[in-house]
Amino acid sequence: MIAALPAIPVAGALAAAALLLVFGKLLPGRAPDVVAVLVAVAVTMICAMMTVHAADAPLTYWFGGWSSHGGQVIGIRFVVDQAGGAIATLVGVLFVATLVFAWGFFGETHAHFHVLMLLFMAGMVGFCLTHDLFNMFVWFELMSVAAFALTGYHLRPSALEGAMNFTVVNTIGSYLLLSGIALIYAEIGALDLSALGAGVARMPGNPVVGAAFVLLSSGFLIKGAQVPFHFWLSDAHAVAPSPVSVIFSGAMVAIGIFGVARLIFTIFAPDPAVLHVVSTLLQGMGVASTIVGAIMALTQRHLKRMLAFSTISHVGIMLIGLALLSRGGVAGMLAYFAGHGLVKGALFMVAGILLATQAGIDEIGLRGMGKPIWPAGVAMGLAGLLLAGLPVGAMRGGSDLIEAAARDAGRPWLIAVLMFGAAGTGAAVLRAAGRIFLGLGPVAGEEESAPTEAERENANRPLWLMLAPTIVLLALVLPFGGAPAGFGWQAAERFMHPDGVDVSAVAMPAPAAAWHAWASVAIALGFAAVQLFRHRLPRWLTQGAGAASQPVTAPLAVLHSGLVGDYVAWLVVGLALFTACFALG
Amino acid sequence: MTDIQALLPWFVAAWLFGVGLYAIVTSRNFVHLIGCLSVLQSSTYVLLLGIGYRNGGIAPIFVDHPPTTPAVDPVLQALVLTDVVVGATVTALLLALVLQVHKQRGTLDPDKLRPMQR
Repeated sequence: MIAALPAIPVAGALAAAALLLVFGKLLPGRAPDVVAVLVAVAVTMICAMMTVHAADAPLTYWFGGWSSHGGQVIGIRFVVDQAGGAIATLVGVLFVATLVFAWGFFGETHAHFHVLMLLFMAGMVGFCLTHDLFNMFVWFELMSVAAFALTGYHLRPSALEGAMNFTVVNTIGSYLLLSGIALIYAEIGALDLSALGAGVARMPGNPVVGAAFVLLSSGFLIKGAQVPFHFWLSDAHAVAPSPVSVIFSGAMVAIGIFGVARLIFTIFAPDPAVLHVVSTLLQGMGVASTIVGAIMALTQRHLKRMLAFSTISHVGIMLIGLALLSRGGVAGMLAYFAGHGLVKGALFMVAGILLATQAGIDEIGLRGMGKPIWPAGVAMGLAGLLLAGLPVGAMRGGSDLIEAAARDAGRPWLIAVLMFGAAGTGAAVLRAAGRIFLGLGPVAGEEESAPTEAERENANRPLWLMLAPTIVLLALVLPFGGAPAGFGWQAAERFMHPDGVDVSAVAMPAPAAAWHAWASVAIALGFAAVQLFRHRLPRWLTQGAGAASQPVTAPLAVLHSGLVGDYVAWLVVGLALFTACFALG
Repeated sequence: MTDIQALLPWFVAAWLFGVGLYAIVTSRNFVHLIGCLSVLQSSTYVLLLGIGYRNGGIAPIFVDHPPTTPAVDPVLQALVLTDVVVGATVTALLLALVLQVHKQRGTLDPDKLRPMQR
């Protein structure tokens, strides 16, 4: 094996981006598409290969050969463990699928779209592989800036405004991260993750370390869109071009949670005060995000905005898994990351297909219009069932692990939260699929007028070209049975104890109960059916349900105001919550 | 160095951070808001430089000095440089977005610009 292998995916993607930027104008027709797809395929394959090799021991590469001197780390290294390598592979898969999906999407663009996408990918892969705190920040920032630019790519008013909210809120997050890095460097004098971990172990309970944790984790949780830092997400994902939304929801948001997890297990694990905050406050944030995301998703009619809220809910489930701080919870988080990324990516592709072929994104405006493209409807229905917790594939494997971990941690009520999130978001997708592709759920009155701006995307691609990557993503979720969960279980051990050698062979815990899966699917189907066949139900029932849900949904809708000032005010509330939790804990 | 001198950069950084956040929350114009974001960012400059400062230290360039001369921490100076690059990129991008918004909507008041009006 080549020693420099861990650096190649990132360096290759960056070099390809630079070359495309210079020579993109000279390349004929679709050549930038070909180059971008090939680079993404190569990145995926190298990351997958490294993940396989990391099963024995993590691969380490010191940049420039600068490693350590007199026991002090003086260089920057990439360390590929199974978890980081697997997430990087997932990122690669999503980029391959998205670049195929977006084949020719932007017409003649001088390859700017491809340059940004390759930079975006390099940022995410680097973030997963690096073992240096400041280096993490640099990749994070590369990923963020590429994302900001991609959101506003269409230069339409709604896209520009969404991009501005996204940029302002996430940039504040970056400055929080940087302040956190400054604080922990001031206290420990290192930036290598392992060296920082050793430093924290020498001074448990140190208030500066605690403050650094608050700043670092809020920075990542802003990217991870957890309540109350989540407001930017629905604006950005709803207005970004569909291929970009695929990456946003599939990988970028959840990678924020992965960042928090990386910091906790490499740096902060020896500090009991931090672990206490994780298992109380972060768990609370995960629960709140799961519930708020599901409720908001159910009240949306803009398809991409609905999917965006469902992402908040599912990333909340990942945060719950992490906050359990057990091997099962972390393994569940990793498996759920993979499953959710693939399913949500496929769903945003279906939304993109509707935008391209039917020129609409409003669920009610599109009613019955999906019939000519019924295969997309099958994909959407299947994805909806998977979100709702169908007992196959990586998503279910992940939530089984999280449920079992919650039971073993003596918090069985978390299982109800997980079921609520899965059923609510699944119901929203199934309702939309039923309305668009089956023509169910006639509307009357004020619902007929679409409140959202008329949108459409380029209709210059054949249906099969857009459908193929959608189906591939869904096919990747389905067939492997318990393999993703088993892999997560194995990867979690090293991820949680990066410097330990004890890769213990403890058996995976049994799932909490099989009926949970079917129950949440049944609830989702029932809820979707109630909403679609509302006109056949007795009037007192529908009115009663409306009146009962109004006190919850109306204030939530008001809170998601679209005003960047409000979002930043909520960000301050989140920081205050963190501080209060530290002070009281 | 007295205690007050040692603590001053921390106070200044916290103050700039707070002022920047407050101004962003209350801003009524996106160009002003971007300026406020830069104010907020300058708190990270002050924090990083304050942490790296050594009393009586030289700049970390050892051409004319023996290698053991006390110097300020070069790592933090590198972080500040990266920070400057990040700030410049984001500010340029935001200003470009603001120009486009103004062209299309004729206003820069966040109250009148909401991505999803319902």
